[in-house]
Amino acid sequence: MASYLLRRLLLGGLTLVAITFIVYGLARNMPGTPLTVQLGETDPSRKLNPEDQERMRRIYGLDRPWPEGYVRWLGSVFRGDLGRSFSRKQPVITLIGERIGPTFLVSGTAFLLTWLMGVPLGLYASARSGRLDERASSLLLYVLYSFPTFVAALFLQVVFAVWLRDTRWELPLFGMSDLPADAGWLARAVDIARHAILPITCQTYVSLAYDSRFIKANMEEAVRQDYVRTARAKGAGPWRVLFHHAFRNTLIPLVTLLGLSLPGLIGGSVIIEQIFTWPGMGRLFFESIRERDYPTIMGLTLMFSVLTLVGQLLADMLYCLVDPRVSVS
Amino acid sequence: MSGRASGMSGRAARGFWGEAWDRYRRKPLAVAALAFVCLLAAVAVFAPAIAGTKPVLCRYKGRLHAPCLGYFDRRLEPAIFAQDKFRGSYPQNLREKDPDSWAIWPLVFQDPHRAVRENEWPGRPANPAQDAGRPNRLNLFGTDQYGVDVFAKMVHGTTIALLVGVVSMGLAGTIGIVVGALGGYFGGWVDMLTSRITEIVMCVPTLVLILAVIAIVDKPSIWKTMAIIGATGWTGIARLTRAEFLRLKSCEFVTAARATGAGPLRIMLRHILPNALAPVLVPITFGIASAILTESALSFLGFGPPPPAASWGSLLNDARANLSMWWLVVFPGTAIFLTVLAYNLVGEALQEVTDPRLRESRK
Repeated sequence: MASYLLRRLLLGGLTLVAITFIVYGLARNMPGTPLTVQLGETDPSRKLNPEDQERMRRIYGLDRPWPEGYVRWLGSVFRGDLGRSFSRKQPVITLIGERIGPTFLVSGTAFLLTWLMGVPLGLYASARSGRLDERASSLLLYVLYSFPTFVAALFLQVVFAVWLRDTRWELPLFGMSDLPADAGWLARAVDIARHAILPITCQTYVSLAYDSRFIKANMEEAVRQDYVRTARAKGAGPWRVLFHHAFRNTLIPLVTLLGLSLPGLIGGSVIIEQIFTWPGMGRLFFESIRERDYPTIMGLTLMFSVLTLVGQLLADMLYCLVDPRVSVS
Repeated sequence: MSGRASGMSGRAARGFWGEAWDRYRRKPLAVAALAFVCLLAAVAVFAPAIAGTKPVLCRYKGRLHAPCLGYFDRRLEPAIFAQDKFRGSYPQNLREKDPDSWAIWPLVFQDPHRAVRENEWPGRPANPAQDAGRPNRLNLFGTDQYGVDVFAKMVHGTTIALLVGVVSMGLAGTIGIVVGALGGYFGGWVDMLTSRITEIVMCVPTLVLILAVIAIVDKPSIWKTMAIIGATGWTGIARLTRAEFLRLKSCEFVTAARATGAGPLRIMLRHILPNALAPVLVPITFGIASAILTESALSFLGFGPPPPAASWGSLLNDARANLSMWWLVVFPGTAIFLTVLAYNLVGEALQEVTDPRLRESRK
């Protein structure tokens, strides 16, 4: 076990270096630098004169070739320093800390809702397999699964922010809060919740459709096994067979799915956060690409990749834990 | 019925794909989805004949021309119309400059790039601009704030959607099959290398990769977007191909082929690949759906093809500023949704009819 873990960690480390190297190379070769993009876009008169630009380039280390920049970045990461954002004049780690809360508010709620609804839905579908109501609900879930999030987000915005404007059902279009900072905490909480409803809905329905289909597919596999037939033969009721015998054996693939959803939980969704201008990680990432803010791009890339790899590793480890037949070697 | 045909046990003679098609035909939803995909392909190919302001075919000064091809590429528009200063406005110019001319017009006289002016088509009013362009008889899907017809834009956007799906998945399929086949067939250090590369590409967040690469290329164009989507979307195909090749390379027919002296390339291409094609085709079909989705999402985020070309995603992006004009959101959004749904349904059905394990499980 220990040697397996060590090998996986080592391999993961190498993968991380490869990924960050590629992304750093790509980021540094995008046209424009943080200096030109940031100031030139907002106001041409504020463009830096050449000497100032040269000075700034030296300060930011942009006058060196990018492989050298990468090695420096890697070095400071090993010292526990993700660097400072160019455009926001703050340490990257602070920025991430600021954004992680709003992202988790949306993705965590969506995650809970998904599993609270997805498991019963999947079980219901496999219990009623082949009946009319199951086929109708499965078709509906399939349609939802194919519904692109950004289309759904726009449709929801049209309905709740335009058609229902000035009614009690109206929901805000953008942002996280309209209230001033000195408003009461209850008012603020209600306001934030109202802003979060649409993003949470968008993030929930896709994974709900995916997860319940996944559960149903696994259940269909499980109910054909011999042990289910045995359970039925010994006289166990249909629900007991479904829960106690079949469902428990589908937990293994579910654990994998849980592991793989880890990066999304903290990384958020670029598109949803962008549409609703939700101040989360995904939006920070999108903005940092536009601003050519290399330290932030790299910090976020590192975080996403670490989460992806940890999620995979966690899934594999849990896999061994829940299924004694599987061994790590 | 001839005695011969009834003598053979009909179904066995049909072969793998014939049998698969027999099963496919019995799924009404899948057939409907396939019909929709074919309809989209037809719309994409004949877009300039469906909606446009340039004649599909016309006789001008004694010669036949097809100015509508200019919608595919400006260079395909006959030079004579530029020389005679048509400036894109055909109906009146044709009549004034050559009274003997005739023309076959597109089904819907609307332009995807500009608003139709008053009396451009005799007796027709100008397209409504601002937020007055609700769907009506002349503008089936309404007009945007500049008065450009949404239906025409969407018809021409179909071409982009189809191209994105086919080109990017063609590329992804090629890369994926080559990488997967090499790793699966040769094993050893080749497999080690290809698996590692696949894993790295899988781990890099797709959006970072795409946004970064798009930002790097100087002039964005729809072709570069397709290339990037294709270059990042092959990992699933590679993994599946590898698994299939691993499974098949130890089969007897491969050993037999090797015994007859076939080289590795011949074995891979002629013997293993045809047998691995069905499972590989499934992720490619799903990949077309996701490529169209990725392109729309990119256009939606503002990284779409440069104007005047407009994909469905960029129509949606334009609509964000005018949410009260619901028709700008509903029609392109529905088009993207239906297309993705159709390709997914086709892929799903393809999987069911070609995978024997799934077929048995239906019983």
